[in-house]
Amino acid sequence: MASPVSVYSNTRDPQIRTTARDSLKMDLLANVSLLPGEERIIDKDVIYICPFNGAVKGKVLITNYRLYFNSVDLDVLVSLDVPLGAISRVEKMGGASSRGENSYGLDITCKDMRNLRFALKQEGHSRRDLFELLFRYAFPLSHGSPLFAYLNQEKFPENGWSIYKPVEEFRRQGLPNNKWRITFINKNYELCDTYPTVLAVPFKSTEEDLKRVATFRSRGRIPVLSWIHRENKAVIVRCSQPLVGMSGKRNKDDERYLDLIREANDTTKLTIYDARPSVNAVANKATGGGYEGDEYQNAELVFLDIQNIHVMRESLKKLKDIVYPTVEESHWLSSLESTHWLEHIKLVLSGAIQVADKVSGGHSVVVHCSDGWDRTAQLTSLAMLMLDSHFRTLRGLQVLIEKEWISFGHKFASRIGHGDKNHTDQDRSPIFVQFIDCVWQMTKQFPTAFEFNENLLLTILDHLYSCRFGTFLYNCESARDQNEVRTKTLSLWSLVNSKMEIYLNPFYTPESGRVLYPVASMRHLELWVTYYIRWNPRIQHQQQSPVEQRYRELLALRDEYLKKLEQLQMSDSSSTSSDLANSSAPNASSSTPPKKYLRTPL
Amino acid sequence: MASNIGTHGRRVSPPGECVLQRALMVRKKLTAREGRGWMSGTLFCTHFRVAFVPQDGPKPDDNTDPVLLGDHDVALASIEKVVVVGPNRTKLVSPNSSLKFTPEELLLYCRDMRVICFLFDRLTPDAQVLEITYTIAKTYQPLKPGSVLSFQNAALGSVEMKQFLSNRRRDARMNWFDSASDWEQELERCGATGWRVSSVNDRFEMSTSLSRFIVVPQKVLDTELKKSFAHFNEGRIPRWCWRHPRGSDLLRMSIFQNNIYHEKDDIRNLEMVLFGCQNSLCVVVELGDELPSPSDIQLAHSRLRTLCLGDVSTSVSVPDDKWLSTLESTHWLDHVRLCLRKASEVACLLRSGHLTVALQEPEDRDMSCVVSSLVQVMSDPHCRSQHGFQSLVQKEWVMAGHRFYSRINYHRDNDKEEAPVFLLFLDCVWQLWFQFPSRFQLTGDFLLALHDSIHLPLFSTFLGNCQRERCKRSQNLGQSYTPVNGWRDALQPDSSSDPSDPPLPPVWDWALQYSADRRACFTQPVPPTPPPQPLLNGNLNMKLDPADSAPGSVFLLSRGSFTCPGNLPPWRSSASGVYKKSHRRAPSTENVPGLERLLKAWKLTATCGPQGPADAYEPLLPLLLVPCMGLWRECYLRGALHAQAFSHPVTSNHLHPVERLAQEVQQLQDKLAQLSPGADLDPPTVTTEPRHADANLNQNTNNATFLFSASKPRSVGKAAPPPSSNRHVSRAPPPTATPAPRPGGKDLGGSNKHTFLFGHSSVTEGRADPRYHPPPNAKLPKSDRP
Repeated sequence: MASPVSVYSNTRDPQIRTTARDSLKMDLLANVSLLPGEERIIDKDVIYICPFNGAVKGKVLITNYRLYFNSVDLDVLVSLDVPLGAISRVEKMGGASSRGENSYGLDITCKDMRNLRFALKQEGHSRRDLFELLFRYAFPLSHGSPLFAYLNQEKFPENGWSIYKPVEEFRRQGLPNNKWRITFINKNYELCDTYPTVLAVPFKSTEEDLKRVATFRSRGRIPVLSWIHRENKAVIVRCSQPLVGMSGKRNKDDERYLDLIREANDTTKLTIYDARPSVNAVANKATGGGYEGDEYQNAELVFLDIQNIHVMRESLKKLKDIVYPTVEESHWLSSLESTHWLEHIKLVLSGAIQVADKVSGGHSVVVHCSDGWDRTAQLTSLAMLMLDSHFRTLRGLQVLIEKEWISFGHKFASRIGHGDKNHTDQDRSPIFVQFIDCVWQMTKQFPTAFEFNENLLLTILDHLYSCRFGTFLYNCESARDQNEVRTKTLSLWSLVNSKMEIYLNPFYTPESGRVLYPVASMRHLELWVTYYIRWNPRIQHQQQSPVEQRYRELLALRDEYLKKLEQLQMSDSSSTSSDLANSSAPNASSSTPPKKYLRTPL
Repeated sequence: MASNIGTHGRRVSPPGECVLQRALMVRKKLTAREGRGWMSGTLFCTHFRVAFVPQDGPKPDDNTDPVLLGDHDVALASIEKVVVVGPNRTKLVSPNSSLKFTPEELLLYCRDMRVICFLFDRLTPDAQVLEITYTIAKTYQPLKPGSVLSFQNAALGSVEMKQFLSNRRRDARMNWFDSASDWEQELERCGATGWRVSSVNDRFEMSTSLSRFIVVPQKVLDTELKKSFAHFNEGRIPRWCWRHPRGSDLLRMSIFQNNIYHEKDDIRNLEMVLFGCQNSLCVVVELGDELPSPSDIQLAHSRLRTLCLGDVSTSVSVPDDKWLSTLESTHWLDHVRLCLRKASEVACLLRSGHLTVALQEPEDRDMSCVVSSLVQVMSDPHCRSQHGFQSLVQKEWVMAGHRFYSRINYHRDNDKEEAPVFLLFLDCVWQLWFQFPSRFQLTGDFLLALHDSIHLPLFSTFLGNCQRERCKRSQNLGQSYTPVNGWRDALQPDSSSDPSDPPLPPVWDWALQYSADRRACFTQPVPPTPPPQPLLNGNLNMKLDPADSAPGSVFLLSRGSFTCPGNLPPWRSSASGVYKKSHRRAPSTENVPGLERLLKAWKLTATCGPQGPADAYEPLLPLLLVPCMGLWRECYLRGALHAQAFSHPVTSNHLHPVERLAQEVQQLQDKLAQLSPGADLDPPTVTTEPRHADANLNQNTNNATFLFSASKPRSVGKAAPPPSSNRHVSRAPPPTATPAPRPGGKDLGGSNKHTFLFGHSSVTEGRADPRYHPPPNAKLPKSDRP
């Protein structure tokens, strides 16, 4: 399998470093291994203005997939490997006449918490071709050309597109049953163009009901089932806001439909979680939206106070300001507090905890925000992660993302802006990053409950932007069908599942049926340093956590001791001491069984 | 009414303990570490502790229970505040308060930042609830002058307890640094040649705060040495503390005494003392300016306490959205970082080899303890094992004269001196442990145990400001100090000893406080440390050119840069006159860049990865970027109740796989040690064989119940008991601990009558009936063991 050049493995290992140096003497860019389908576009001598090492002379290579830089100077070994998809903005800095060293060049803003700055020679418009090519290949959609995912010729033994089959997943959850049925009413995306084709709805609701409810829900995103509790049959239902409007419209069908959801579980009250702050929900009435009022009998409405996509975008922007290029060390904690990033994480997590707690207590819930594709997806998927241990496995998380995010129309294209030059687009927002951060917080608090490790979360976030895979492209299933994503591009899960071992958590201890409630308090949430500050050379790009390292060493010790013990016992049994052999026998039996549960994927 | 704590036949009470009050059907809230949820049992208040005995505790099959405190107990002296929660209110209970409601919950806020929460069942009689609350409120001892002594007497003052303590043997696996041979052993361990142990301060006449034995250059005679004391504040002359495997020496000293005339002979000696065995280069590291002062530390720590526990009396805590900035404003983490940074610098200087680093602090009794011991934890794998660490604390804190007694301020008689310098040090060690867990044989649990023990005014380790004070105390006990085994003699109770002054055990006698299960978590197996490798040639270019360095150059490291001020050392300043330029070559400033390269080296090696450096003797240099400084949540946030808001009663109680594996490896290691006594598989901690002749006394004494058995007790679960037969002998309880017949034990059910407890209760019968009273001649629990 072709894998991109790892920048970090080169710089860490001294042996590799020397060999890399030797080859560099011949050609700086000779050892760049390209992906099948990747093509060199241009290379050029530039100076990389490294925020950590100062100006570094070297060579930049642009392909149709990445920007690659290698330093000439052997004393400062710097290399960069940035997928063009991660670039949000390319700008010229300085003019032909600007003074000062290295003041003429390109400024590149990335979506993954870093910026790059290259200086070029001022003579002869040396940056013009670089700028234009970079612009064209970083933003192909703005130039009418295809994303790299459509050119990628990689081959994987596994086909990641088959990881999620909606009907199979419903069957795993025990659906359909006598209360819930599966409908294909949306198979041509006529009921709702941003929903998947397969939906689970109350058994008693007719197709006509669904159509009438769709008229009263924003963008036709009717309440449908996301997850059902195996024992108590309580469900998580997701939808968009009701179209109440200023006049306070009512819709009997919608009211009856929600009551059917409640009835399916025979509880007295249905809890509706509106993810928004109540002020925002009220404000939405002005644009025709709103929230469920008193007319919904047998239902209670709870606002979860999670802010909208614009607030989240600004919050992450502030976080970037304090971690890149230099970490704001003098008042780190109060600066971190003022970004409110962790506070938003806390609100999302505590919202999900409330949902999970309600459901595990046997009460069905309905979750919505405005359109039901941002905060709603965060809440339902996190609640499902807390409730259902299946989603905490490596493949389970893939299913969860495919189901709650991709198939239910989280607008990845708009939120990320794949291949789009319009970096000021107000639709962009790190909602999915925030979700992955919440998952990371949970893995921190429950280090043995998840089958996957941090590496998987980092890989997911890297390819959220890279455009190497089709997984996160487009806003919804209908658009993906139109653009033949499944046939013309590869799935990220093909990469992951072909090399599973590097994504596995050695400490995973499966425990089905246990509900995980993370502590959603600022006292116990942490900044994900190895993601947000990973470009800082003082943060090691950890291949292994300290605990994993300790585990490996213990394993080695155990093997060594077992070997020694075996040798000793062999020599002992041949010699005199039957006493010792006896005494060690019970011990030996007590130490062998643990081997069964000790996984050794490392 | 039953008045025995050992409701299930467990010998839980220390000899001579009185139960003042008890309450049935109480539930104790378990922490995350204990598996969360609740545990049912009986709550006792005795005259020195609040004890909780779980209903279905583990089967009592041996005497592994801690002597003084059970795992669920809290000493009255550790309690800071007693708070009760009623149906709809919370009240701070003072010794005089009366309650107008029946509490549902009892919260004990402890000085060590634990908050222990007991929940009363509906079935607990109201009278019992009220009585035990009042009793605890009346008996726990708000620290004030005098209360410490009465607590010590309550805990240790009984005849049985004194007898028991006098039979304890100190742990021979660690170095106590109180005899000359202890110091020689350390010199040998470090391979420090050129140094000798001097007993010039044997009677504390040279320096009252230094230890009796100090290590000085071999070539300086005692008569010459004596003249140098006057040149240093409090007579704390430069002394050797440690040698890096590559040959650099670490020294400590106080500041130079000004206004003193330097005679020519003095100067020669002073220079010899200062340069130690390295002729060329001495770097004086000034600790005064850059590190927090004791009052900074005190302020930061009290803020941290308030932040983590909330305001106890009003139960108001810092709002969650202000948590981070409030944590920042305590400056605790800043202080931790500064100490680690300074220690990293010093560790980098030392790793180059062949120079002397002298830590200098005005008094040489606070931050130099922190820095010198941190340097050794970073650089010496031995110091990262439990016994190595304990030895380190003995060497750099206890014997070096850290003023534990004043800094902890047990008596609350001098608030100005109070400063938890040692707790700051423990936090620094925790940061290192957190970043390099696989490099430590000791664990976070051990650090936590040490942290909590500070708050218990029982241990000789912390109840003294210097060796002299500790010796004086033992003299008060009617003992004259004998150099060979003075400590032990000091604890021999004697007809002449004052009964009001109980002998104090050292903190390292962990069996007094922690059960074998808990102690088993103090360490984890680590691979043996290979012998040190010579530094790779050309690596980091930090070999200093000897020609470049004038012999006798002294540099000052301050704020990250090197200078050679003219008055360092003061006798070299031209004003002193005696020191001639020709005496030695003027310090060459060309050395400065060479030294700075050494310091930069640590920034480079900072990328050595989480597993730490490949060479075991390369220092563990922690990541010091502010976002990498962690909060020791297991310690400071233990009591934060909100942290457990969503913890459900039934949660997983599984060990982390790493801990499980560690246990397994430890078992294998123990087994191997059994099978092949001479095999070379132990980590270096154990390979430094104890020299003490009494190391194996344990096995043979009659009183061995309370002794350390030679192999560490493991929580093996169902694994076979240790096979060697002499262990059985060693587990027999001491006849001396046989309880005296209780006067009128049977009718003492009354709520506030003092009840004498048996030290032991019968195993079988006690279990059958919790209310059973053992007759005065009850069988000793272990006497009928096969």
